[in-house]
Amino acid sequence: MVMIAFYFFAVLITLLFLVTVMSKNVLYAMTSLAAGMVLISGLFFILGADFLGAVQLIVYVGAVMALYSFAMMFFDMSKDVKEKNGSAATVFVLGGAIALMLVVVFSAPVIGQGVSSLYPEAAGATNPQAVGLVLFTKYLVPFEVAAVMLLVAMISGIILAGKKMDASLSTTEEEIPEMTQGGEK
Amino acid sequence: MIHEVTWVGAAVKALIALLLVSAVAGFGTYIERKVLAWMQRRPGPAHVGPFGLLQLAADGIKLFTKEDFIPQFSNRLIFSIAPVITAGTAFMALAAVPIFPDFTFPEWIPLLGGVFVPSIASDVNIGILFILAAMAAGLYGPLLAGMSQQNKWGIIGAARTAVQFLSYEVVTGLSLLAPIMLVGSLSLVDFNDHQAAGIGSWLIWQQPLAFVLFLIAGFAETNRTPFDLLEHEAEIVSGFVTEYSGLRWGLFFVGEYANMITIGILASVIFCGGYSDFLFIPGWLMMGLKVSFFFFLMLWVRASWPHIRPDQLMWLSWKVLMPLAVVNVVITGIVMMAIG
Amino acid sequence: MSLEQFKNRNVGQQQYRMLDLGKTPETSWGKFKQVVSRSLKVELMIGLGVTFGIMIRTLFRGETHTIRYPFEKIPISRRYRAIHEMKRLLESGHYRCIGCGLCEKICISNCIAMDTRYDENQRKEVSEYTINFGRCIFCGYCAEVCPELAIVHGDRYETASQQRASFSLFEDMLTPIDRLKQQKEYPGFGAVSPHADENIKKTPLAY
Repeated sequence: MVMIAFYFFAVLITLLFLVTVMSKNVLYAMTSLAAGMVLISGLFFILGADFLGAVQLIVYVGAVMALYSFAMMFFDMSKDVKEKNGSAATVFVLGGAIALMLVVVFSAPVIGQGVSSLYPEAAGATNPQAVGLVLFTKYLVPFEVAAVMLLVAMISGIILAGKKMDASLSTTEEEIPEMTQGGEK
Repeated sequence: MIHEVTWVGAAVKALIALLLVSAVAGFGTYIERKVLAWMQRRPGPAHVGPFGLLQLAADGIKLFTKEDFIPQFSNRLIFSIAPVITAGTAFMALAAVPIFPDFTFPEWIPLLGGVFVPSIASDVNIGILFILAAMAAGLYGPLLAGMSQQNKWGIIGAARTAVQFLSYEVVTGLSLLAPIMLVGSLSLVDFNDHQAAGIGSWLIWQQPLAFVLFLIAGFAETNRTPFDLLEHEAEIVSGFVTEYSGLRWGLFFVGEYANMITIGILASVIFCGGYSDFLFIPGWLMMGLKVSFFFFLMLWVRASWPHIRPDQLMWLSWKVLMPLAVVNVVITGIVMMAIG
Repeated sequence: MSLEQFKNRNVGQQQYRMLDLGKTPETSWGKFKQVVSRSLKVELMIGLGVTFGIMIRTLFRGETHTIRYPFEKIPISRRYRAIHEMKRLLESGHYRCIGCGLCEKICISNCIAMDTRYDENQRKEVSEYTINFGRCIFCGYCAEVCPELAIVHGDRYETASQQRASFSLFEDMLTPIDRLKQQKEYPGFGAVSPHADENIKKTPLAY
């Protein structure tokens, strides 16, 4: 049962991400990316990592939504995107090499000695609690560093975007006298 | 006494939730028209059936028989998928929502006798997160709809969807964080049990600010009036539903009303005591009353308040509500530490 | 009267009252103060209260502004000019029109077409009379000019129909003979005077 579900999700996810890479239509690419991200959370649910699954859903729904807004600004949805490929051979070799490397990196421990959890699960803790325990004990420092990094990114984003945030686009100073004159007529 | 949840019980509960919410979502359109009409000194739908009750059937017939129209230059596949996403995710969210208290079928009923029906179809221990995630994914419906239809109003509607989503989602999460800290669980059943001691134990008294913030974010989540930017007729025709007709259009609205009910259920379970019995009123009726109140509140607000601009929504969410929510979380944390 | 007064088309009594909205805040601190004061003064809740009160009044006191149109109608103005009616003489039931042709002459949109002839008694008879309602602008000149009060503007304003001819023929505009008793009379030049029956005296010739 679990195996069937896993392969079902795995095939679907692979297909969807293939569409993401292959499609020349931005809308198809983005939609399949979002659908793939949502389906990955299905894998987490199968593994019993409910919390991670929900987090995957929330985070990637938001992230892909932001990507969508970029796509909306940069591309014409009705036309296909023309990609500039220098040479097909380079792309093939580079892409293939990276993919192979990733597969080797991730499958080496599985083939080598099998995966075992580095941190023992606390007895009686539910899934979110277990995640919290690990995050705030063993991985406290990386967690806090990541938090600080995100804070820095957020503040710099606000500063970059918000320089002229208070200036209104609709009522510039030239317009105001004209408007009052029009009202007096 | 702990009952074992069989798959029959879960299936019965899922069926009840699905049927009930889709029926109520349909009925909600009638209620909305009636309430809005009363608040504007009109009688509302009155001709089809007694008190206009059969207006719903008339609308259904109209939606079913209308021409199903797909614009020529739209992206047909995405255009067809989008309404299903909205409706589908709205009902997916219901999987983790408690609607009524648990009960056991009496023995005399054939087939189902003695089957225990849980209060939630699937009591995952991350209930709230799952509901929020499913409802957030529901916003892909308007987004894809607006982007696929090659219509400038649709594009503006889609852009506003993204803006709205990025604004309110932070507030929803942060406002719910404080009650979650108090209860110490993400499961809605735990929330209900935490407030079972009567009206004094409702979390709304401990977390009034979080309650208000959650309601505001909930209004934004369901595109209700102060924040109905996505399809505001006076500005952008119909926004993301400009090119839709017939059943596809209907699916969007079933999804919207189901979301409204889900937000009502969430607000009543998390802040207002959930489905516990209250004095002499049984739990299921109490739940119905509370959800009806929140549903009515949405209509009431729609009749009373003007809607705001997208930039005002962003200003409100990021500069007012989010800091308030963070302060609320921090204060809650400090108080919890002090009490110990 | 000066030109400005003449051109002022706002007919009502100009007793407008300016709402004291205060100044729009310029600084962010001012905006913040405005938000806080508005939130604390619960202005939004007052709006909710108003709509709730109206809902209660609509529900329990029946104060709606709705006229359930096909079932109830508001009375139209006495000066309203709707589809024409041709009147009959009250005693004989013969149509009042004497075929003088004044209405056809005065019609500024040329929509009245009539034809007359002498009948066997050498009296003028209306053989054709139609009004083209596609052209008619309902100015009311025809009713104004009619010496016999034969053509008047009625009160039938629901003019949607499957064919235009169902209004425009003479027979359709004429009061049905069986409803002669209910024929509505309009005061005006040539109308039956209000106390006609009492004022009638036999002429000396009758003796």
